Amino acid sequence: MKISRIHRTARGAALAAALLVAAAVCPVSGDAAAGQDRRIQTMVIDPGHGGMETGAKGKFGNLEKDITLAISLKLKAIVERNMGFEVVLTRDKDVDVSIENRSAIANNRKAGLFISIHANGAVQKKAAGSETFFLSLNATDEETRRLAYLENNSSELQSRLDPSSDDDLMMILWDMAQTAYIKQSSRLAELVQEELDAMLGTRNRGIKQAPFKILTGVACPAILVEAAFISNPAEEQKLASADFQAKIAEAIYRGLARYLRVPE
Amino acid sequence: MTEKKQGGVSRQALILGGLAVVLLVLVILFFTGGIGEKVKRFVDAAVPKASDAAGGQAAAKTVTLFFLSDDDDFLHKETREIAAGPTDAEEAERALVELIKGSEKGFVSPLPPQTKVRQVFIGKDGLATVDFSRDITEKISYGSSSELAAVYAVVDTLAFNFKPVKKVVLLVEGAEKETLGGHVDLSRPFLPDYSLVAR
Ligand SMILES: [Zn+2]
Repeated sequence: MKISRIHRTARGAALAAALLVAAAVCPVSGDAAAGQDRRIQTMVIDPGHGGMETGAKGKFGNLEKDITLAISLKLKAIVERNMGFEVVLTRDKDVDVSIENRSAIANNRKAGLFISIHANGAVQKKAAGSETFFLSLNATDEETRRLAYLENNSSELQSRLDPSSDDDLMMILWDMAQTAYIKQSSRLAELVQEELDAMLGTRNRGIKQAPFKILTGVACPAILVEAAFISNPAEEQKLASADFQAKIAEAIYRGLARYLRVPE
Repeated sequence: MTEKKQGGVSRQALILGGLAVVLLVLVILFFTGGIGEKVKRFVDAAVPKASDAAGGQAAAKTVTLFFLSDDDDFLHKETREIAAGPTDAEEAERALVELIKGSEKGFVSPLPPQTKVRQVFIGKDGLATVDFSRDITEKISYGSSSELAAVYAVVDTLAFNFKPVKKVVLLVEGAEKETLGGHVDLSRPFLPDYSLVAR
């Protein structure tokens, strides 16, 4: 029983090592601590929601999907004007794109950075402010705990060793690949959040981790920006204005620029 | 032919023996596990039940539900009485129905009131699977905050009240769904997260 587990782990480790090597070869992983610029060739901007999937709705009828697209188009323009790399949008009009396809776009284009843009929605009308998310490690912790638990539980182990459960193995591998980027993602989140706080004058809700689907599938540093609450009537009106949208784009750009250490 | 039959007989004996062992284990579990649970439930129910001494009524169980408050971003605890037993899964289903029904103290449920709990299943590995009607995704437009609140109100309510529940999976109309509203990944089981709960 123990041997099989080790076998399985070894297999996992080998595959994970392959993934990690691939990640290391990727141009993103230039170490900033060593003073190098982080050179990337392609970044992906993901306007949250779209099409039938409206995202959160405001009291005055504004939809999250429209605001995220407007901000994303503005961000794309600023980045292209000021930085020497390609910017790809996961959608550039009001269409449905599954989350799976959004991460596939990033991975197929070998994106070095991924920024998902959202406007927040809460049940509480008073909820307000901006926050930046990166992937929660809970899933990984859970897997670790599960493996520890399995050492003392042979019947579940049997089912885990079922050849049809290779999905689990893939999940562990994805977690490991994601883990490699967590530090960079958290740094990017921190810098973007500082700029949002400085430029928008919205309540600083800080950087947070959450198990967001869009962040789990992307194989590069990735953040999800929640700029203000569309469910808060005062913030909804701000979000609907082109001025405020431009400020959000500018704030994200400044955070990104600091992260990439390109002079502003 | 005879040999085959003999093989069959001995296999049958083996299976019967195996079944007997399984049965014995189940019987032991039933008595040892069952008594512990009954005692706990009885204690739980005894305190708030004292006032409403309607004779001969079925036992009640007090559960803690997790609601939102209009004044902050946290989940808030509220206790509620539900009918007890016979299984954890049935109690869990009743607790979720109360969560959807909403607060009696001015808090707000993060779930749409039209949502129906189709089924709750609690596996012996500690994984609770909850199947909701499609109303949970269709009757509300989630933002990240409201979606996280909806997921964790369910997960925390189950894990907090039912000891066997260690993690929770959410289904919609019997099927796996990517997310409830475009944010939180439903493909993996959730552990409870009490950091979202007000102290
Ligand atoms: Zn969103």
